[in-house]
Parts: sequence; structure tokens; C-alpha cells
Amino acid sequence: MNKQVPQKHLNQGHEHQGQLPIDKLISDKKLNEQVANLANEMSPERDLWPGIERALNHKIQVSLGDKQSNVFVPSAWAASIAMVMLMSWFTFSPSTVEQSVPVMVQNQQKTSPTPGQLVNFMQQNFKLQKQTLLASYGQPTVDRLPVAMQKELTQLADARASIRKALLTDNNNADLLNLLDFTQQQELKLLQQLYRQYQVI
Amino acid sequence: MDSQTTADKHHKKVIDGQGLFSANKAQQSSNIDGEQAWIAQAKQGCQSAFYRLYEKHHKSIYALCWRMLADKDSAEDVCQEVFVVLWQKINNFRGESKFSTWLHSVATNVVLGHLRKNKNWLQRVFSIEEQAQNVVEASVHLTDDSTLMMLDRHIARLPERARLVFVLFAVEGYRHEEIAKMLKMAVGSSKSQYHRARNLLKESLTTNDFISVEEELSHE
Repeated sequence: MNKQVPQKHLNQGHEHQGQLPIDKLISDKKLNEQVANLANEMSPERDLWPGIERALNHKIQVSLGDKQSNVFVPSAWAASIAMVMLMSWFTFSPSTVEQSVPVMVQNQQKTSPTPGQLVNFMQQNFKLQKQTLLASYGQPTVDRLPVAMQKELTQLADARASIRKALLTDNNNADLLNLLDFTQQQELKLLQQLYRQYQVI
Repeated sequence: MDSQTTADKHHKKVIDGQGLFSANKAQQSSNIDGEQAWIAQAKQGCQSAFYRLYEKHHKSIYALCWRMLADKDSAEDVCQEVFVVLWQKINNFRGESKFSTWLHSVATNVVLGHLRKNKNWLQRVFSIEEQAQNVVEASVHLTDDSTLMMLDRHIARLPERARLVFVLFAVEGYRHEEIAKMLKMAVGSSKSQYHRARNLLKESLTTNDFISVEEELSHE
């Protein structure tokens, strides 16, 4: 962008000379010269404007005073947290409410003899959180997202299904339970980020 | 006739000569005025004015995207995304800085947001170093574009964090404090990543490459 400003930065960092013989390495000065000579512009291979133009027709310009998204997102979070807390309150007994997933697994045989109960609870809890999240964004459909994002979401859903399947045969595996929990949280985070960007901005 | 023609030519040359500097100056001034007008019109929702802004800036924004992402396809997609975000947020531009400077900061945020969003969830499980190694390996076949300058090809092969810090610091002119905030890292980490990038570039850009770079420059 601006070759004037970075120049003052370039003389910092001269110590290490690497593994090649000194005479084969370029000097700091030459590296600085090359950086200064980098092209300011590059041409994309395809014409980017048609895609931008299509997107512009569906996007609304944000005015300076528009704070809609700043208010809306915390509300969605608050709704999600409230829902999860209510669900936890009604589902778990007081002895299990404050236990983490691995501790619950260790105690699973004592507290919940039904195989897969924890996995089912996690799945139900995840579905509930997802529904709450989607409801907060006005029940958007996935096909409104870019194809790459849809693919990412599908991969996450597939991964979640595979882990759940594995847990049905090995329901005491704490690592798998943690992975299921991680995958669910990633999917929720990704959904939140995507809908915030593509629909709420 | 001849003398008149010569005089006319001379007169024209003098006028042209006199006009050269002032014409350049006037053109610069009109470009700036034109840009201001385009910005004002784009703020009112005028797409043709916005297209003018796109025409003027998209190549430098694409260069920024390419250098940060080290991938042509992603750079093209994100460059489009930058201009869509620009359309939405152009009303936030208050003219306190140059438009190009403001646009580059918007673009930088969009690129970093893209990197955060699109990082495969499995990659988050692995360490940063493993990710970096993957990026280096992936970049090798992504940077065979012969139109790129040698240094750009080497920058593209840097590990992701080192590349981002190097591009933001050395090419875009951000301070380490700003970079640390943007990349959510300590200022010291930004500095060490920059040193790492420099050392890796010096190791990979041998004197032979440097000769190639000079040849490339002389051909331009």
C-alpha cells in the first residue's frame, strides 16, 4: 500500500544467518530493497466485479448510527445461555450439575446406568442451543450461505455424527466425549459467526 | 508556411511542456476530487460511483489479500468480500485519513476474519507449528505462478503467522502494537515472528534467487 511508511521498519531484525553459507545468503540491505520493490498492485485472473455487483443488490448500507447488530447479538447470547441453564436445571440432579464432562464420565456408572445417556443429553442440549441460535437469527436456511461455508458445516455435522456413532459403542471414552463437545461448540460458533456476517450486518 | 508550422509546433511544445507539470498536478487533484465525489455518491447508494472506486483500488486490495492468504482463489473471493463490506460500511468513512489507508484497514480486517472463520476445525486441535508446516507444504504448489515476483513466491511459502506479521509490518506499514492487537498475540510474539520471517526469507532467497529477482525487475 504505502511503501514510504514500511521502509523505516525494514532495518529491524538482522541477527540470525541460517544454515546456508554466508556468501549464498542475501544481505539485509538486499532483502529490504526487494521488499521496497514489491508491486503495489496485482491483477486477479477473473473479473471480480460481477460477483460484487450481485452481492451489492442484496446488501444494505450501514448508516453511522446503526447499532442494530451490536444490540441483537448479545440478546441472542443471553437467550442461549438462559435456555441452557434452564435445561441443565431440569435435567441434572444437584450432584451432577457442577461436574465437567470427564468427571461425569468417570462417575457415569455410579450415577447413570443407562448406556449413552450422557451422549443423548449432549445431543439434545446441542440441538436446543442450535435451535435457539437459529431462532435468534430468524430461522435462516443454510442455502443462503456461500457454498464453501455450507461444505464446512456439512463436514462438522458429519464429524459430529461419526463421533456420536463411535460413542454408542464406546460410551465411556472421555476423549471422544470431549471431542463431541468440542465439535458441537465449533459448529455453534461457526453458525453464529456466519449468520452474524451474512445476515445481521 | 514552414516557419509558421515550426513556430506552431514550438508553441505547442512550449505549451505542452509548461502544461506537463501542471497537467500532472491537475490530474492528481482531479483524481482526488473525483474520488471524493465517488465516495460521496457511493454513500448515497450509487453503484456506478462505487464501481469507479473498485476500479481504482481493487488491484492493490487483491495484492494485500494474495500476500496474506498465499492462495489465488481465496484472495479473489476475499477481495470480493472486501468490496461488499466496503459497500456496507462506506458511510463509516469520515475522511479523517486517506481513503486508500482506510480501505486497506477494512481489507486487513476482512482477511483476518476470513482466516479465523475458515480455519478448518480440525486444524484448531493441532499445534500452531503443525498448522504452519501444513501451510508451507500447501503453499509450495500454490505459488508456481510465473507472473509473481520471486520475493512474493517466497513470502507465500512462509508459515502463516510469520507471513501475516511480515506482510502487515514490512509491506503494509503497521506497527507491532497494532499487529499484536489484530492477530491477538503479544507484541513480543509479533516481533519474533517478524524476525523469523526475515530469517526464513534470507535463507530461502539465496544469491541465485536474488539474481533472478534482479533479472525480473530489469525485464519489467
